[in-house]
Amino acid sequence: MDFALQLIFAGISVGAVYALIAVGLSLTFLATRVINFGQGSLLMLAAMVMAALLASGMGIVPAALSALGLAAILMVGVEAVAVRPLAQRAGSMGWVVSTLGMGILLQGFAAKFFGSQAVAFPSVLFSSEDFITLLGVRLSLQYLAVLALSVVLVLLLELILRRTQWGRAVRAVAHDPELASLMAVPVRRVVLVCFALSGVLAGVAGLLVAQITGTVDPAFGFNLMVLGFVAAVVGGIGNTFGALVGGIAIGVIEKLVGGYISTAAEHGIAFAVLMAILAVRPQGLFGRSELLKA
Amino acid sequence: MKTVGTFLSRPWAVLVATVAFGAAMSLASGATIQVATFFLINVLLAHSVNLLTGFAGQISLGHAGFFGVGAYGCALLMRDYGVPLPLALAAAAALSSIVGYLLSFPAGRVREFYLAMMTLGFGMIFYEIAKEWTSATGGVMGLSGVPSPTLRTLSMFGVAIGPAAYLWIVLAIVAATTALLRNLIRSHFGRAYFAVHMSELAAGSVGISEAATKRSAYTLSAALAGLAGGCYAPLVGYLGPDSFALTRSVEALVMAIVGGLGSLPGQVLGAALFTYLPERLQAFAEYQFMAYGAILAVSFLVLPKGLAGVFTAPPRFAKIHAAALPSPLPVREPLPVADSPLLQAEKITMNFAGLLALDNVSLQLERGRVLALVGPNGSGKSTLINVISGVYRPTMGRVLFKGDDIARRKAHEVSRRGIIRTFQDPRNVPHFTVRENVLLGAHRLYRHGLWGAASNSRIALREEAAFLRQVDEMLQLAGLAELADWVLGDLPYGTQRLAEVARAAVSDPELILLDEPAAGLSETELEKLGVMIRQLRERRLGIVLVEHHMDFLNDLVDGVVVLDSGKVIYRGDMEGMRRDPEVAAAYLGIAEEEPAHA
Repeated sequence: MDFALQLIFAGISVGAVYALIAVGLSLTFLATRVINFGQGSLLMLAAMVMAALLASGMGIVPAALSALGLAAILMVGVEAVAVRPLAQRAGSMGWVVSTLGMGILLQGFAAKFFGSQAVAFPSVLFSSEDFITLLGVRLSLQYLAVLALSVVLVLLLELILRRTQWGRAVRAVAHDPELASLMAVPVRRVVLVCFALSGVLAGVAGLLVAQITGTVDPAFGFNLMVLGFVAAVVGGIGNTFGALVGGIAIGVIEKLVGGYISTAAEHGIAFAVLMAILAVRPQGLFGRSELLKA
Repeated sequence: MKTVGTFLSRPWAVLVATVAFGAAMSLASGATIQVATFFLINVLLAHSVNLLTGFAGQISLGHAGFFGVGAYGCALLMRDYGVPLPLALAAAAALSSIVGYLLSFPAGRVREFYLAMMTLGFGMIFYEIAKEWTSATGGVMGLSGVPSPTLRTLSMFGVAIGPAAYLWIVLAIVAATTALLRNLIRSHFGRAYFAVHMSELAAGSVGISEAATKRSAYTLSAALAGLAGGCYAPLVGYLGPDSFALTRSVEALVMAIVGGLGSLPGQVLGAALFTYLPERLQAFAEYQFMAYGAILAVSFLVLPKGLAGVFTAPPRFAKIHAAALPSPLPVREPLPVADSPLLQAEKITMNFAGLLALDNVSLQLERGRVLALVGPNGSGKSTLINVISGVYRPTMGRVLFKGDDIARRKAHEVSRRGIIRTFQDPRNVPHFTVRENVLLGAHRLYRHGLWGAASNSRIALREEAAFLRQVDEMLQLAGLAELADWVLGDLPYGTQRLAEVARAAVSDPELILLDEPAAGLSETELEKLGVMIRQLRERRLGIVLVEHHMDFLNDLVDGVVVLDSGKVIYRGDMEGMRRDPEVAAAYLGIAEEEPAHA
């Protein structure tokens, strides 16, 4: 029982990070109907850069801010190179390929620059041995901190999208960019901010996962991106609350399967969930199906 | 340069080049033969991506997985069960195609990028499984002892097969696959792939199932990748999981895109470039992954048609050479004079999230009659056409076609039953020629299967010939005969409209729905349209015409239904409509309280 609770707790914690990744992916989808297939490389790069800056003696806060700033800037670059020029092309083929290309370019660059071996990521939030005991269950403080940070960020974003002027602008652009632009919404700026914010969220997620795993290597992000995507699809793309539920559900299922069956099955289970949800309810648990206008 | 390329793409030139390549390589050293065989396997892999992405418009980011299923499948069958090479290769393709079919299950329900992400996930899972399922794949240590031509351990029917013989075998497989693909692309299957890619609405309107077409593309593409993997296993004799990582999927995509999506010769160019470039250029090998990333990031902008766009003519999608074959035209039974009406729309209501586009609309049509649907903009005419043709599901009401309720059926199911429509803005495949577009209309009538289409069987060619001749007749009638081989996207609006009507007519429907066919047509084009519609009426079709052009309707129609704000405000003949005060009010905005003084 204790073992199961441990697994569930760890699952909730990593699941919250998946939700964070999912929200980052949906943010660009809201603004431009584009999902960045290279998002994984931003997760990886933020963690890599932070590890390198910490190793060079920089303080924790400036190092984290630099890593997140870099992720934001890179994301704006992705928009400029791989998204905007392809906006005129019908269908999704163009942007899927070009954003994936940007991701691979960044991954190749990281492998060249930092080497393709795993780099140690130091413990920043507590040490991996710190824990508290709650109702007889040992809860790792690191997992607890990761969980708290992720949930707070996801909820904060939901609040911003619902309650602020800027959030309304994002939803207007999501609904119909042309109409929004006629209503004096600065569409261009909204799109850029969405991309930058998506980069920051990816960066935070990368730092949090690296904190738990303790190492980071150039291929670190792609798996996480797919898991984030599964979380987004389970909850319904663009639905923040759904992403949180989806992410946590996947995290828990994954950890339970990994703990009781095998780690090989752990890798496959999220994928099985994705297949099942697309076959049964492609709009996600909390999403609404889109109306196609002929 | 294109003339050189086109010359070199002729079948006999390809055959000569293929044999010359094989002969030259047989004389070369072992290492050269090995690389040449790699190149051939890459051609298969590029064909596989091209079929899926270039033709059917779907994206796979997990082709390494399909490749790996084929490679491990073939290796294990040969090593542990002593299965002979040809059977093992067939099994590799079959295994992989099953995986492809399963993965494509949500196709048609979700947009392409979901499947792209799913295949990406599949590719990564496959890699993890290959690493961790040690008992089957040997894990990270790899799988060795596969019968291999290099180690002289491969034999077939008791004959030892060395590297040169193996090259000839793979060369024969690649050449045969390429020929089959070429035939397939020029059949109704190829047209369906490309039509789904370019215009899902047009494809649905001629009876092409979006979901089934995409699934078949995934299945076939996976089979080709599996075959490539099957050929790969004996060549290397040892399989390690790293050969099936994301890099391989990316490489396959890069080869197909740089070679030229939608072009078969382009795939040979792409495979050659990315097989020999890393071999020759150490600097390239070092920065390979980054280079692939950069290529993917910009290729759609810089070189959207790839190398093939520079060197060869665009692909064609019909077997025009078959047209001369003698083949009887399918006998068209004169449509029966049935007592029940052909079409009955009963109390159709369509509510778009609060906007009532159709409010309790009913209409009825018999065979051989032309019904005009008239009304001001936004009155619900096109919505009604969309409901009848299955593009929209009505909120309430029934659509009876020959007595069966077809409301809420999918567009392609409706058109397969014999209801064909055209669109308010013409929906064609812009890359097809006029002839290919019109031939697309016959899609639902084709009877020959995948193998017949790929092997150019007698039956397949004769069927194609019969439809090509029907298309020619229809093009004559439409006045488009001279433009038959022009790419439709480059032609004026009026031509595109007429071609769409011709496409609908060729599909041999029982009920045809024309949404503003006369809009934007010149006087001569109007005349041709009138001729086509009269011919359809003589064939005893039911015809629904949405139109604003009253003079055009005058001498064509048997009855009129006038809609305003989703309600029927008049039904009867043209003469009565002109005198009806409510119709005048709806069209000219005269207030109903003050009837106009005539």
